[in-house]
Amino acid sequence: MKLNLNEEARSALIDIGGSRGIFIEGNILKLLEPCDDAFKEYIDTALAKDTERRKKRLEITKQVQDKNKELEEKAQENDDLMSELKEALAVAEDAKEAALSDLDVMQKKSQFQLIGSIVSYALWVIVGTGIITTFMYIMAIYWGSTETTLIGNTWSNLFGILLTNSFSIIGTIMGVKYANKDEDKE
Amino acid sequence: MIDSILLVDDEDLFHIVFEDACSLLDISLSLEGIYSSDEAEGRAIDWVDNPSNKPDCIFVDLNIIGSSFDGIELVRRVNHKYGNGVVIGIISSSFNEDEIEKAQEVGAQFWIVKSDDIEPRLEEFKEDFAGYQDRTTPFKVYK
Repeated sequence: MKLNLNEEARSALIDIGGSRGIFIEGNILKLLEPCDDAFKEYIDTALAKDTERRKKRLEITKQVQDKNKELEEKAQENDDLMSELKEALAVAEDAKEAALSDLDVMQKKSQFQLIGSIVSYALWVIVGTGIITTFMYIMAIYWGSTETTLIGNTWSNLFGILLTNSFSIIGTIMGVKYANKDEDKE
Repeated sequence: MIDSILLVDDEDLFHIVFEDACSLLDISLSLEGIYSSDEAEGRAIDWVDNPSNKPDCIFVDLNIIGSSFDGIELVRRVNHKYGNGVVIGIISSSFNEDEIEKAQEVGAQFWIVKSDDIEPRLEEFKEDFAGYQDRTTPFKVYK
């Protein structure tokens, strides 16, 4: 199907093209019938301009497409890096938590060990005091000292106090040992 | 020259590239671009009652983002559900052999690989088009 324009329309188009550089563009040009040489020249010029414009546009569009592809690839790389960073951060957080937990255990352990040592020494002091006092009481009885009643009361009171404290200390030692055993299991 | 072409593709820029390439190569007189396979299916339903609206050829993208189904399913529906008998094929940046086989199975007549340099493929397609219309040209991959 071809379009036949009348002479008036053709000359108007040719005039506008010549004076203002405005030409018909697009595929409609392929449908126009070149009735005379002047209009054929107009169509050829318009087609050449249209082709030139389309070539430029095609080139630019392809460049934009390439840039878009590059940007998409960069965005993908960025996303991959971000997910790797997130994973690394999560691993570091886990390691930090584990280290803090270990540190806490170590601190508790050394505290318990210190308490255990203090209590052990205290027990030895108590036992030693008990032995010395008993020895002095036996000696006083043996040598027939007049102070046996006073020493006996003192020994009795002292021994009662020592015995009470010893049980308390032994209880503490057992507690400390039990706690240490739990920490070792962890 | 192909009288009318319908392009189904979700990418705006490719519509421009395709239109300009077709115009520069004198491939088609009129070209319409739509962006979803759902809309294309609507057209295919309309062509059943109004065959004069049918284009000469349909180029379908493989992955049409924002559509209910992909390009291969659209080809299947156009060929088997609505029986339009239109020349139809895939135009995609993918070159997956399984997908190409699937497209062939559902009745696609060609597969054009999209790339920066699409003009030579379209020119080759233009030469083969008459064979696609009378169904003498076998399935072909333009790469």
